[in-house]
Amino acid sequence: MKLRYFIPVIIFFPVVLIQLTIVPLVSVQEVVPDLLLIAVVYFAISFGQIFGAFNGAAYGLVYDLISGSLIGSNMLSKTVAGFVAGYFSGETRRDQYLYTFSFCAVVFISGLIDATIFSFFSVIDFNTNILLVLFNHALLPSIYNTLISILVVLIPSKRTIE
Amino acid sequence: MLKLLLYVWDNFRGYLVLILLVILSLTLLTQNNNPQVQKVRAVAFGSFASVTSVFYNLFNFTTLQNENEILRKTNAELMLQLSRLREQGILNAELKGLLGMKDTISLPLIPVTIVSKSLSLTQNTITIDEGSSKGIKPGMPVLSHKGLVGIIQSTSNDFSIARTLKNVDLKLTVKNERSRINGIMKWDGEKLIIIDVPKTYDFEIGDRIATSEISSIIPVPIPVGVVAKIEQAQTGILNLIQVIPFEEVLSVENVFVLQIVESDEKNNLELNFYNRQ
Repeated sequence: MKLRYFIPVIIFFPVVLIQLTIVPLVSVQEVVPDLLLIAVVYFAISFGQIFGAFNGAAYGLVYDLISGSLIGSNMLSKTVAGFVAGYFSGETRRDQYLYTFSFCAVVFISGLIDATIFSFFSVIDFNTNILLVLFNHALLPSIYNTLISILVVLIPSKRTIE
Repeated sequence: MLKLLLYVWDNFRGYLVLILLVILSLTLLTQNNNPQVQKVRAVAFGSFASVTSVFYNLFNFTTLQNENEILRKTNAELMLQLSRLREQGILNAELKGLLGMKDTISLPLIPVTIVSKSLSLTQNTITIDEGSSKGIKPGMPVLSHKGLVGIIQSTSNDFSIARTLKNVDLKLTVKNERSRINGIMKWDGEKLIIIDVPKTYDFEIGDRIATSEISSIIPVPIPVGVVAKIEQAQTGILNLIQVIPFEEVLSVENVFVLQIVESDEKNNLELNFYNRQ
């Protein structure tokens, strides 16, 4: 059994702790970066598509339970986001997408998918302007996630996880 | 057959896993009000909140917490008193000469501290450091000295989660303090709005909005916000009233839980009435 597969479990708790306590302090117009999503993307690229989907589901479910969100909403959105991020995994592509600024692009794409799915369970009704919802609820948080993900690319010790 | 299944599994394993997890998520989405799911949630956030409460204090810049707590409590009590006085003043003017209303409400406040905030544009929640052991129950309002913050959603022994006003799942019956008109207020993901208000109803920018006595959740008037904008709904005959809340969840740290419980007698009376229809 490879120990590295347990790393997402170990990483989860500090990430959630930071998400719930420190991240609100850096919100911009109540838009906050989603550190869990960045972690899901990172592990999906590291370990593959199926692992990414499982990891996204587990992260989302536990986060739903401890944060008071609609149970299943984060689970669903992060499952799909993890699955999509897993497309960028693979022996030849891993280094390219994990250790370069391409990682930020993957975070952006996954973030858009995550936030769009999450929004569908929250704000969509007959009076909603869908384009406006996608802009406010998907695009802005994704841009913020992308900016934060630059830090992940710049952290030099990340290769020790592999 | 087995060969076919193996072929499908080998070639579409990823998609099968995805479909399975999506179905599981959708199933869970339908089980949110299941008591057993609620119980699991209470255990999960109760355990995690005990950790976050320690961590949160490191980033809590208010060093004069105790003194602040007393002052905030006084403020909140004064705010409630003022709100009730305002109510009584308006009612007195309307009822002139009739018998005065009996003031029977005593409003116990439980001071609590926010230990974590789950901010999202649609499902804002806060976790507070008191739970069912202090008598907090789901449905109790959470307020600050400025006004309503949210409603308790679920409780564990020592912690509670509250939905804030900026949560799409929270809908409240509110009223215009000036014109006494009631409406349903909700968060649409971007702003607080009172929905489906006929154009003929008397709403003006600057009107104060408070919770309504006819609300089954908060049957006491607690200030909520002020009318900021009156928009025309897409249907054309109704207005959307945009409300700016008095309290911003982002900046609030110490709040109170108003220990009110729904009146069983009132609920039974209403239930009997509807049963006879």
